[in-house]
Amino acid sequence: MDHKLEKILARVQKPGRYVGGEYKAVQKDKAEVDCRFAFCFPDTYEIGMSNLGMRILYGVMNKMPGVWCERVFAPWGDMEDEMRKEGLPLYALESGDPIKDFDIIGFSLGYEMAYTNVLNMLDLADLPLRSADRPGITPLVVAGGTSTYNPEPLAPFVDVVCLGEGEDALPELTNLYRKAKRENWTKDQLLREASRLSGIYVPSLYEVTYGEDGIISAITPKDGAPEKVTKRLVTDMDRSYYPVETIVPSTEITHDRVMLELFRGCIRGCRFCQAGFVYRPVRNRSQELLVQQGIDACKASGYQEMTLLSLSSSDYPDLLPLCDGLLDYCRPNNVSISLPSLRADNFSMELMEKLQAGGRKSGLTFAPEAGSQRLRDAINKNVTEEDLLNTCRTAFAGGWSSVKLYFMLGLPTETDEDVLGIADLATKVYHVWRNNTPNRSRGVRITVSTSCFVPKSHTPFQWEAQNTMEEYMRKVTLLRDNMRNKSITYNWHDPDTSFLEACLSRGDRRLADVIETAWKNGAKFDSWSEYFNFQTWMDAFQTNGLDPAFYANRERGKEEILPWKVISDGVKDSYLWKERKAAYQGVITPDCWEKCSGCGANKLCEGGVCHG
Amino acid sequence: MADQRILFTKSGTAQYISHLDLMHTMERAFLRAGITIRHTAGFHPHPYVSIPLPLPLGFSSDCEIMEFGLVDGATMETLPQQMTDALPAGIKVLQCYEGGQAFKKLSYVRYDITLEFDAPMAPQAAEAFLALLKRESFVVRKRSKKAKSGFTEVDVIPLVEAVEEVRADGTFLYLTLLLKAQNPGLNPDVLLQGFKAEHPEFPVVYSHCHRREILDDRKKTYR
Ligand code: SF4
Ligand code: SF4
Repeated sequence: MDHKLEKILARVQKPGRYVGGEYKAVQKDKAEVDCRFAFCFPDTYEIGMSNLGMRILYGVMNKMPGVWCERVFAPWGDMEDEMRKEGLPLYALESGDPIKDFDIIGFSLGYEMAYTNVLNMLDLADLPLRSADRPGITPLVVAGGTSTYNPEPLAPFVDVVCLGEGEDALPELTNLYRKAKRENWTKDQLLREASRLSGIYVPSLYEVTYGEDGIISAITPKDGAPEKVTKRLVTDMDRSYYPVETIVPSTEITHDRVMLELFRGCIRGCRFCQAGFVYRPVRNRSQELLVQQGIDACKASGYQEMTLLSLSSSDYPDLLPLCDGLLDYCRPNNVSISLPSLRADNFSMELMEKLQAGGRKSGLTFAPEAGSQRLRDAINKNVTEEDLLNTCRTAFAGGWSSVKLYFMLGLPTETDEDVLGIADLATKVYHVWRNNTPNRSRGVRITVSTSCFVPKSHTPFQWEAQNTMEEYMRKVTLLRDNMRNKSITYNWHDPDTSFLEACLSRGDRRLADVIETAWKNGAKFDSWSEYFNFQTWMDAFQTNGLDPAFYANRERGKEEILPWKVISDGVKDSYLWKERKAAYQGVITPDCWEKCSGCGANKLCEGGVCHG
Repeated sequence: MADQRILFTKSGTAQYISHLDLMHTMERAFLRAGITIRHTAGFHPHPYVSIPLPLPLGFSSDCEIMEFGLVDGATMETLPQQMTDALPAGIKVLQCYEGGQAFKKLSYVRYDITLEFDAPMAPQAAEAFLALLKRESFVVRKRSKKAKSGFTEVDVIPLVEAVEEVRADGTFLYLTLLLKAQNPGLNPDVLLQGFKAEHPEFPVVYSHCHRREILDDRKKTYR
């Protein structure tokens, strides 16, 4: 190990996360490697290692002969200070080599609040932040992940954006890079060729112009770059790679367990939910294969906990046989199974009872998102009050005594009546408990949480104005004043993070300057309360002459050119607009299995049909 | 039947695995290797693994010991390789054998200690260090989770059994010390803290401790 690093490690918290060497971390012989790939996750080791997507791509990339994919995470502040002081540049965990000399640097971007960490990591690596200041093809800076559906705020920093699921696109891009390296291409040549690949967006090949009102007047492709870039996706989940053998961290991480991926996409189409649209259509893995993968992953890792991961796991069609198959192995081997994203219906509840038989009854969590049926219909959240109360009845009768309920405030069409509906619902849940619990003296804990709705790109609400922070706080006060029951606890998230998220998630490329200014003034780890400083960001907007309200609180017109116009997830704009109108009429749209509503994503599948 | 033990080394990146994390890592490694071990009795049975002398974070070692109970099947001959293959880099299982010797017999630890100074002052620092150890008593303040103040005081002199080797080489000072292992034992880091507090004129920029050997009450290798 590098002696400089050894010295530093003695002085930082949790040094184990900076050294690698975990079970199944991939080592390769440098003599047999012609392409070094640094997979960067712009958050802590503990968060990054909990990300299934990263584990999948790590496996996929390392299966390529001649390619060595290594991991890089954002060092926590104490480590960063020491690294800067000792002049130790950002390195990859497997080899300990500085990533500056790598061929490709790939960032996985799951959330906007990690953008300053991207800049910080490039800087720690001793690389110029902007694509234009990195003249050679090495290293090529690539970004992918959910928040790259609007990559514009990061446009000047990254060379290439990989849209959608990376299993196929990333190896294709890597092979193109290797060809470019062999044949001594210029960066322009490489970027031009990359833009011809399916699912690859090269921001520098688009010219964006703005009108006097600050609204985009045109986005013009250059050098033959495509008008639309459509996301890539895996069509056959049974043939796609699943990391049965994967790294087992030696130190504790956030989700320290087997993550079994049941399916991708979601059939529901809740109108506020970006994931529900951008991952369309739903693609299931077969139940037999999942049972096998689950068992093999337990054996290969030694984990005794498994989670059934997906956007809405209880929608998996063969959930009962799947659980039975897994339980046959898990029960005798003391492996516990958890089912996140529980739907509020009795079927899910029974299943939960079954999975947790004999185990501790931890809290129940539901996300009705809105307090009234009217608003739930408007956002197409297919949960009825009756379902929710019935589920709670079963749960309370079965001895559960804690429920968490998640809501958003500021959803389009929301009135004060809808806000008060939250208090009403929570009170009804309380009465259901009183009438059904076998043990009243134990009491009940009902926790209501609200956050401020963030309109996202590629959803029917992409044109909406976010509530101002004042309006959100007014609603919080209204709710708080009308929900006084000592069994009900009300937590609200501060609106400042949501406000910034709203700016970044629908921002254009002018925001790059804001991000850079904020970073220069110390912004990093913005999703961590230890670091987040709202004022730094507001100052950065002002320094660059931009108004955050223009991005967060302004309603866009139907004809407005949105910054992510070039980026397609397969869902038609006309469909999103239709869904928006349906929201205002309070009309619900059936889920994909009940009836296809023709969103357009079927064109991404073989034969043009969604199979599920 | 008595329980079994393994002798293993911990070095390189594995030095940064804490004692608690190591226990989890070991439990998982048994599962990965397909080796069944005994569970504790009681309401919440869990696999029994026990490490008599936890190694502080950042130390390396040639002589760690862990006890567990093999349930059917596994053979002691193949276990070291099976386990090494199932463990992270830097942990190597050298030997598996029947336990028996009581943990309380583990009495001394031989440590190799490296100190690095920011200038070639190791010879003078060595003298100062040895002088400290020749004192009648040398009380060091050390962190303690139990004490209300967060600190306790400990006289290290009775806990240093022998100074076996001293080598000064420019900026580096190498010491081999035999320290009491337990009841009470001495963590060499406490000794280094004491030295640093007493002699700030020798600024230590880096230090490292390595467990070379563990000994019983008669100073024979402990297993
Ligand atoms: S159920 Fe609704 S909120 Fe959940 S993932 Fe699907 S679309 Fe999104
Ligand atoms: S095309 Fe139809 S079935 Fe396929 S994702 Fe869109 S709405 Fe669902």
